[in-house]
Amino acid sequence: MTFGELLERHEREIFAYVLRLTGSRADADDLYQETFLAAFRAWPPPRAGNERAWLYKIATNKAIDQVRRTRRLVPLADLRLAAPERDGVTLSDLATAVRTLPTGQRAAFVLRKVEGRSYAEVANALGCSEVAARSRVAEAMKKVKEAVR
Amino acid sequence: MNALEPLVDEAREHLLARAKREGLVRVGYGIMDSPLGPLWIAVGPRGVVNIHYGVTPDPRELARITRAYGPGVLPDRRSCDRVLTELDQYFAGRRKRFDVEVDLAPLTPFQQRILMATARVPYGELTTYKVVARQAGNEQASRAAGAALGANPIPIVVPCHRIVAADGTLGGYAGGLPAKRRLLALERGKAEVPAGGWERSRR
Repeated sequence: MTFGELLERHEREIFAYVLRLTGSRADADDLYQETFLAAFRAWPPPRAGNERAWLYKIATNKAIDQVRRTRRLVPLADLRLAAPERDGVTLSDLATAVRTLPTGQRAAFVLRKVEGRSYAEVANALGCSEVAARSRVAEAMKKVKEAVR
Repeated sequence: MNALEPLVDEAREHLLARAKREGLVRVGYGIMDSPLGPLWIAVGPRGVVNIHYGVTPDPRELARITRAYGPGVLPDRRSCDRVLTELDQYFAGRRKRFDVEVDLAPLTPFQQRILMATARVPYGELTTYKVVARQAGNEQASRAAGAALGANPIPIVVPCHRIVAADGTLGGYAGGLPAKRRLLALERGKAEVPAGGWERSRR
């Protein structure tokens, strides 16, 4: 496999993921670059056929690093691309709710509830057990529901 | 997802610029819409490494490229600018000779000699597998010459379409015989190209 193949196969999905995680175009752009550069520097992927999970893991770690470095406000126009509007909950409400989640919970929430990943995939991306992934998603859900109520 | 496409394109540009600065990009590729259909084109540090009929690379060619240059093979149209311009000019009938460098390095010496001999056949002219085999140092090897030309990684620029069978039939072509016929028709002005090829060349 070449790096170009990996990029072409997964870049849209990874970009969408980091945009949902950060809610910001500029941060998503940075994270996308950081993720693929890190993948390239660590080449080859650890297991053939598992490149996607590998990229999710790198992206999640990079997102956590980025949040530790800087906390930015999310432009609403960017979130419109990241989260669909539904059930009378405005994007603004949802943006605020997701933004205020702790990083681990936010990643778990986006992976499970926005990306629709399995708990095994969430656990893999976050480097935690499935039980921990479930509890992070549950905690995040509770907080988001409370916030948009 | 469509709203995301321009953002991903922009992010990819930024990524490519950084990867280039870090020396991670060895081969850049792009796709050209040619009169013969889409062409997948790859350019490495020493010149054009591959032109393939289609929108995706040939897996064997890609394996050859990664053996030579590692995994740093990335979508980068800019690397292909020069060959794309020359191909455009060629298809418009405004270019009779390619000036871009070609990189035949990962091929065997025999394959390289066959392709070098092929590259010397002038625009619009024809020669035979036997003649290029002789020029590559082994007149008996016309079958091997045919095989080497069938596996030509850089068609059009290395004009294997100018090589025909000794009996005047077209022989084979990786891009299909209609493509070979069209290239020859292009190079020979308005001359009709008979379905079976041409009468035997004197060369």
